[in-house]
Parts: sequence; C-alpha cells; structure tokens
Amino acid sequence: MIDAATLAQMNGEYVMPPDAGPAWRAAAEYGFDMSLIEEALQLTPEHRLEQHQRALDLILEVKEAGERHAAK
Amino acid sequence: MPQNDKALLSRLKEQKVEFVIIGGVCGVLHGASLVTLDLDICCRFSRENLRRIETAVKDLHPRHRLTAGKLPLELTDELCNSLKNIYLNTDWGILDCLSEVAGIGDYEQVLQRSIPYGMSYGEFRILNLDALIVAKAAAGRQKDLDAIRLLQAIKEKCGQQKDLF
Repeated sequence: MIDAATLAQMNGEYVMPPDAGPAWRAAAEYGFDMSLIEEALQLTPEHRLEQHQRALDLILEVKEAGERHAAK
Repeated sequence: MPQNDKALLSRLKEQKVEFVIIGGVCGVLHGASLVTLDLDICCRFSRENLRRIETAVKDLHPRHRLTAGKLPLELTDELCNSLKNIYLNTDWGILDCLSEVAGIGDYEQVLQRSIPYGMSYGEFRILNLDALIVAKAAAGRQKDLDAIRLLQAIKEKCGQQKDLF
C-alpha cells in the first residue's frame, strides 16, 4: 500500500530535504523546481553543460518549428 | 543558428585564448537549471589575445552582431586598442567577449575570482559562485535576480565558503 506522502511525491510534490537552508527554501517557494538543481548537483560540470546543450537544442528546434508554422 | 558552447570553448582553448567563463553558462556549470542562448566570456583585451580570438573563430563567419550591417570581425591594431567588448555571431552561435564584468572589475579581477573547472576537452576557468552572484546583482535584470535565488540556494547546499573581497 502506498502512503499518501509517497503518492504525492509520485504525483510531483517536492519534498524539501531535511538539510534545506533558508536560501534553498526561498528558491523553492519562489517556484524553482529544486529537484532539478539536486539532479544537476549530482552531475559533473561537463555533464551539466551537455544537459544544457540538449535543452538548448530542443528549445531552438521548437522555436524554428514555430517560425516555420507562422510563415505558412 | 545552433549554439554550440562546447565547440566554441574548444576553439578558444586550442588557440590559448586567456578567458574566464561568465554569465549563464557559468551558472549552468555551477548547477543552475538555466537555459542561456549565448556564451559570455571575460577576456584579456590585449592585441595578442584578441588576435587569438579572431583566429579561433576565423572560419565561422564571425560578425559583430550588434552593428547595423553585421560587420565581419576584421581586427586591426587600431581596433584592438579601441574595443572594450566584442559581441559576435558565429556559425556555432553567439560569443560575447567582455573586457570587464559589472560588480567585479576588469579581466585581472575576474581572473582572481575564478576557479578552474576540468572538462574532457580541457581545463577552463569560471567565475566562482560568490563572484557570479555579485555580477548578477550588478546586472540587475529580472532574469539575473531570478538566477541569484538559485545560485544562493546552490551555494548554501554546497556549503561553499564565503568569498572575501
């Protein structure tokens, strides 16, 4: 049986880490997805840049598709 | 035009350009989940170093992206002495080269407040986290202020020592 807290996490609720300080909490409350930061901090700087490149490529691809669509 | 930061950084490294990575890419390297559309560096604006930059991007059709006619990058000694920044469009994306960073100072001061980051394609220097926060605060745009929230959270998480002036 899955408890309510686990189910909420499965559904995307962010659980503040026990060691979260005021700046971490403030960023989370401001609306940043801090789970992404936790993931990024597990990576090497090089992998962070590679991940950024993939995100950037996707954004530019979507932007170009939008421009092509608008030109029709 | 695609932005390929890795390829641009590799080129700069190959030509032994003296530079420090600043701006959004620096934030990404520190772990911030930001997407940035350009590569910002602070570099020594000596003639020799500017010539190295020119050589690094020579075959990438570099153009001064903020000039009305998108003028090609064609450095002369006179121009090297006059330029404070170089904002370029290249076949591999945008490369903005600054001689100083607001809130930090000129290249030497930026260099002092940088740390080395090793990548498989070379070692690069990036602004340390505290200096990046100071620079973002000095820039003061909404996106910079948003980034500061993330960077402060990362600093707290990593327990980085406060950078002393």
